[in-house]
Amino acid sequence: MSVDRDDQPGDEDLLSSLARLRICDISQRRSRQLRRRCHAMLQGEPPMDRWSLGVDGAFRREIVPALGGVWCLAYLAEIVRCTAAIYGYLGNP
Amino acid sequence: MAPDDEQVLVARLSAGDTGAFDEVYDAYRPRLFAFLLRMTRNRALAEDLLDETWLRLVRHATRLLPDTRLGPWLFTVARNLYWSHRRDALLEESFVPELLTLWPSPAPWPSPFDLAAAGELERRVERALSTLSPQYREVVLLVGHQGLTPADAAVVCGVSPEALRQRLSRARATLAEKVRHTPAVAALKKGFAT
Repeated sequence: MSVDRDDQPGDEDLLSSLARLRICDISQRRSRQLRRRCHAMLQGEPPMDRWSLGVDGAFRREIVPALGGVWCLAYLAEIVRCTAAIYGYLGNP
Repeated sequence: MAPDDEQVLVARLSAGDTGAFDEVYDAYRPRLFAFLLRMTRNRALAEDLLDETWLRLVRHATRLLPDTRLGPWLFTVARNLYWSHRRDALLEESFVPELLTLWPSPAPWPSPFDLAAAGELERRVERALSTLSPQYREVVLLVGHQGLTPADAAVVCGVSPEALRQRLSRARATLAEKVRHTPAVAALKKGFAT
């Protein structure tokens, strides 16, 4: 590699040094894991954790609010019924 | 990669061909990792961002346009993930001055790259690179190290080709200046020893 007389790199040296910088890689184990994960996604196989997350997400998004709503309605109906009973609107038993 | 070959590869990838994925993965994984590692200067973070880059490729595989150029596409995703992480990290740490200047302080000791680099000049370049601002570092890495054309690097960085050329010119000048003022690793080691 040629350098300038005063030991300072020239532009060409700099560019060739940049091109020669080390190429790094992840470990083979991690590379294999990532490859497998990507293959599974490409082939449309939902990974186990994603599937469970999906179920969990649907549960949280739809089922929990629905159950909460039903419980609130039942509670409200019971309060109205009790109030009506106290004031005698439901007639004598 | 020839444009025709790349179009075939993209079509196979869109069809869910794992062989096509392997070709792209083997060609670009080390390059993307080298880019992310030098941008983040943190191996664990670079590995996480690399994972996310590939997962995004397979998630978007069916939506890739036939003329998609995989190299710029992958580097764009990796770069955006890096900047997104950097913004989050800066905000979390309330590091407002750095958010404004985006100018990192130079590492006071040789990085693992310094020590492993083949020659003295490469060591100095590695060290000088680590002290460049991320905006300059990314263009130098994309064009100088990864061999992207300035036009492709402009696409990756989301700037006009002219802006990229100017940024690259300034980055190279800054890098050359820093290399000139970067002491040799041997001298640094000697300095630490005394």
